[in-house]
Amino acid sequence: MADVTIRQNVANLETQPDNLAAVRDAYAKMQAFSPTDNRGWMFRAGDHGFPRWQCWHHSKQGLGSERSFNLFLPWHRAYLLFFEHTMRDQNDAARLAWWDWTSDTSHQIGLPQSFTDPNVNGNRNSLSSGPVPAMNGDPQRFTVRFPGDSGNLPSPDDVSRLLDLTSFVDFTAQLEDIHDLIHGWVGGLRDPFNPDLGGGDMGSVAVAAYDPIFWAHHCMIDRIWYLWQLRQGLQNIPPDYLTRGLDPFGMTVEQVLDIKALGYAYADSTL
Amino acid sequence: MAAAKTKAKPKAKQKGRGKPAPYGHPANRHNTEAISVTGIQKDFSRADLQFEGLEHGGASYEARVFLNNPSADAKTPRTPEKGYAGRFHIFGHGGCFGDDEGHCEVRPRRPFDPRPEHPLTPATKTVIATDAVRRAIKQGKQVTVTIVPIVTSGTTKCDYNNVLGFQRIKVLTYR
Repeated sequence: MADVTIRQNVANLETQPDNLAAVRDAYAKMQAFSPTDNRGWMFRAGDHGFPRWQCWHHSKQGLGSERSFNLFLPWHRAYLLFFEHTMRDQNDAARLAWWDWTSDTSHQIGLPQSFTDPNVNGNRNSLSSGPVPAMNGDPQRFTVRFPGDSGNLPSPDDVSRLLDLTSFVDFTAQLEDIHDLIHGWVGGLRDPFNPDLGGGDMGSVAVAAYDPIFWAHHCMIDRIWYLWQLRQGLQNIPPDYLTRGLDPFGMTVEQVLDIKALGYAYADSTL
Repeated sequence: MAAAKTKAKPKAKQKGRGKPAPYGHPANRHNTEAISVTGIQKDFSRADLQFEGLEHGGASYEARVFLNNPSADAKTPRTPEKGYAGRFHIFGHGGCFGDDEGHCEVRPRRPFDPRPEHPLTPATKTVIATDAVRRAIKQGKQVTVTIVPIVTSGTTKCDYNNVLGFQRIKVLTYR
């Protein structure tokens, strides 16, 4: 069996110039493709919100079921996996990494510096923004962010309380709420006194996945689910979830429960 | 379980500006009618405030929830003394990105429709508020719930003052 790949903390990635450069290289190459090229950034981001709207948030009915269930975590796990392989097609040394928004560093500076520097070595930093396709008469553009006060980010205690929840349905609802907080925090508003000017892309389902920090944020969410599974059980999920399909990935919930079976693992960390 | 049927519907778009908050833009709050809590047994180990039928097609926001404090606003300290019970967050779609208004219309699913429900199917949020509920029911036989939304993000398509739309609040207790 092939070795699993290791996803690590963005803070660690920032100390490894070659690995960080590989991610930037993969992202830059993906971002150069047109919206209709399925190797590209805009194509893959378009699965989430605009234009295909396939992301799963909250509880709802689906795939012939009259019972509501919540595929937020399994759907995004499959999504990250597809995205990671798409990025590795451009640079096989590239790996997803998680942004720990509970860390002391995040509470001091907010977003990781590797994602905020506008330029690196004279080139546009492909982690700082991503292309958004033309929509509703607006031309193609790059994502923007107006992050909030870093003191409003979740604390390690907030995550610890989640890990103590024993029911998957309970856990996923509470984790999704923290996930929602981060989206609004990163997107922010151009001017809270003039909100009609709008805000950053991470704050809207329609365009969030076009922002490179989306993938580091969801890697953190996926990792917290993994940590919860270690504590509460790998198969701890309602049985009728197992055969639910995860469109458009052609996988079922059961197939995404064990991350090692998906070929990846998370590096050890304090949280 | 106690429930309050209520409906906070977004109103016509307003251009008024709220006062500045520590972060985000304060939107119009909602006060429920008084909810009877006489049926709640007091030996519960956990109590939740469950918000059902939440709309999420517009801006993203944080909703701060206060019990028995109908004058709470974005500046109210989040402390037990002020009735603070917790908060939930909405990751909004950011407005309509379709060709016309029908794009965001949530229609009932037909039998045998294999597709997931519409992306804007109303959401449910749960605030675990055990201590706050315990304090509130000690204060009397009825509880009011005040929801203070603070918009954190959105697009130029959003209404930033009337973001809160929901159908029902339930108080759930567990033994």
